[in-house]
Amino acid sequence: MSIDPNAVKRTAEKVLAEEFLSARSKILDLAATLDRLERASGSVENAAQMQLLSQGLKILCDDEFDKARRVQLLMSRQYDPDWQKTYGLH
Amino acid sequence: MDYIDPHIHMVSRTTDDYETLARMGCVAMSEPAFWAGFDRGSVESFRDYFRQLTEFEPKRAAQFGIRHFTWLCINAKEAENVSLSREVIAMIPMFLSAKNVLGIGEIGLNKNTKNESTIFLEHLELAVQYDQQILIHTPHLEDKFQGTRMILDMLMGDSRINRSRVLVDHVEEHTIEAVLENGFWAGMTLYPVTKCTPQRAADMIEKYGPERLMANSAGDWGPSKPTAIPDLIMELKRRGHSRELIRRVVYDNPRQFFSQSKNFDLAALPG
Repeated sequence: MSIDPNAVKRTAEKVLAEEFLSARSKILDLAATLDRLERASGSVENAAQMQLLSQGLKILCDDEFDKARRVQLLMSRQYDPDWQKTYGLH
Repeated sequence: MDYIDPHIHMVSRTTDDYETLARMGCVAMSEPAFWAGFDRGSVESFRDYFRQLTEFEPKRAAQFGIRHFTWLCINAKEAENVSLSREVIAMIPMFLSAKNVLGIGEIGLNKNTKNESTIFLEHLELAVQYDQQILIHTPHLEDKFQGTRMILDMLMGDSRINRSRVLVDHVEEHTIEAVLENGFWAGMTLYPVTKCTPQRAADMIEKYGPERLMANSAGDWGPSKPTAIPDLIMELKRRGHSRELIRRVVYDNPRQFFSQSKNFDLAALPG
């Protein structure tokens, strides 16, 4: 799909200025969640959900674009193009 | 700003909500048939529900100058019960002549099972047979990507389906492109935690443009915000977007899409 480069009306500086506090708050929430897990009894180190969170955090920190879409795909079940055959719907 | 909420479940909301929505600019809404929070036990439950959607809700909305439209189906969660689903599908035609019915919906998948897929295909058959528009529910969370692709496979595998008469709802960052690229309409649901925030919806509007794109609140009996569309309007205004662009997403697009149904008349309010 063609993407209009002028569709974003704000400069990067303005986006950062307007959204810094909100992003700061979200990072703190995440940090506090991880602290809470650490303080709680038991271990989730090998839990599938924990692995997903860990991989999601890596996406946030890498140098590539399209982060929201990539996090969504990370958290998604795989699509099998032959699913109709598997279900006997053909 | 006047707006249309193309997907909201008003049977689950109070009359006070109608008043609030009217005060915030909502002039029309469409209410797809959905899951009640529990599985219904017989086709007669659906008969009563369809009467509520076609007789009672339009009058309740009209008290506040809001036009109420609806879509009929058995939803994906209850589609696991194939025999009940077939009874409901067989009953739907007797409601299609009601003045506020726009089409078949919200049909789709929930856990992407064989039974859900079978009933989805039977709903498509009904829509084709009665020349109805289609409104589609895509699954939640980890099931959304897989389920959306399965739904698109079924839609595109039927050459009788006119893609410009199909709205695929609850799109997010990983599903919107396939929906728009293949010629369908797409709806973004502004829903706390499990779907899309007004900010992320604004991002998708900036990324993909306003063509065939709309937004809805999907306000229902669960955690949801029926006034979510005004939140999106505010976010787009805050980012400096034009009144024309905002109006296109929240008013012109739903109006254009719904106008393909013979029952869509923004002027008519039930007496």
